[in-house]
Amino acid sequence: MNQNQPDEQIFFNDPALDRAFGVVMALATEVYVLKDRQTALERILSRNGLLDLELLDAEPSEEERLNSKSDREQFVYHLMQSLTGKQVSKG
Amino acid sequence: MNRSAIINKRAFSAAQDFILSTKTFWTIEIFSQLDKEKQTEEIEKTTTYKFFAWLERHLQRYKYSGRYGIYNFYNQQHEKIKSPPKNHKNLKLDPSIKLPKYYTQIDIHQHPGGLSKDKTAGYVYEHGARSTTPLGVRNHQDLHHRFTNSILASGNPKKILDMACGFGKSTQPFYKKIPEAKIIGIDLSEPCLTLGSSIARKDQASNVTYMQVNAEKTNFKNKQFDLVTSTMLLHELPPKSIKNIISEAHRILKPGGKMVHLDFYLLPDRFKRFIHFGHSKRNNEPYMVSFAKMDITGILKTLGFSNITIEPFEEADGVLDPEYQAWRFPWTLISAEKQ
Repeated sequence: MNQNQPDEQIFFNDPALDRAFGVVMALATEVYVLKDRQTALERILSRNGLLDLELLDAEPSEEERLNSKSDREQFVYHLMQSLTGKQVSKG
Repeated sequence: MNRSAIINKRAFSAAQDFILSTKTFWTIEIFSQLDKEKQTEEIEKTTTYKFFAWLERHLQRYKYSGRYGIYNFYNQQHEKIKSPPKNHKNLKLDPSIKLPKYYTQIDIHQHPGGLSKDKTAGYVYEHGARSTTPLGVRNHQDLHHRFTNSILASGNPKKILDMACGFGKSTQPFYKKIPEAKIIGIDLSEPCLTLGSSIARKDQASNVTYMQVNAEKTNFKNKQFDLVTSTMLLHELPPKSIKNIISEAHRILKPGGKMVHLDFYLLPDRFKRFIHFGHSKRNNEPYMVSFAKMDITGILKTLGFSNITIEPFEEADGVLDPEYQAWRFPWTLISAEKQ
């Protein structure tokens, strides 16, 4: 990144929101790119008889949901932890 | 570069589609939420306007720049892109051309590096121009064809000059619709002209020549064109250059010849001016404001033009309907005849 680049235009009262919303839009683009790729992958696998799409789309069993519970909770903790405003380490 | 760092065509296409869909939402849903009855100072304070302005600025940034931007995509393909030959008879480049300051001082449209040097610049611009009008992807006739049809409705000119033709998007309808006419496209951008000449060869068009010439001062002889056109040129120029171009068009037109510019000019109310002038800043097109404030009719009259008409241009079906709510450019047709 060139240090001499002029400052970007600001639209919100707090420039932090200008910058943070940029991060959100970049992530949203990345999510859509991944979604598009996964859909294409599923279509190719299904067309070649390597994936049962109905099975993939079916409601997960209780066992399957329980198996992913721990991973889901860790994901949520990681996502939301910053909102507590608390330090993780001493200092 | 390893494989995962290169943006593949599927990812690029998906990201660009996402950006365009977001722009379409902005064009229809967010724009229509702005309260047109309020004073502009009041509109500016609203949260909706702040998001409107942010998205206008940054969706254009994402379109061109960053990981999935058009600029990055074509520059990653840099090695694969072969520059079209520059020695074809339909292409006349001028390595000694001096590029004006207004052309190089700012990255117009937020296109990194602009159009002047990079060998991929023509491809980047061509890709970007596919969505100049965000709703244009919906099924309607391309605005360049509409523009050409509007001119040809009053007869076919024999010799045409298309000023600031870029890669020839505005020139193509002319050379396709009137193969017996002689058409010259001029522009400052070597990469765009080179791409334009390559497209014309693929189209097997023998009636067009692309030349690297500044429209403010051409070397064409007096009184030799039946028609001089430009599309989306004038709003990028400082007032002095606009006057030079109109004056030059007058010099090279035959008596009775026609000059037609498709541009962004008529702003009949306060709200439209506010939105357009904001776009000027947000899209790196600083001269949109000064152009919209110019007395074009007065200039045309002073230079000896007659039959002057300045009227809204319908770039897609229904956009001039007073009930039409989506954002759009103030498309305007400026036409005049040399006496």
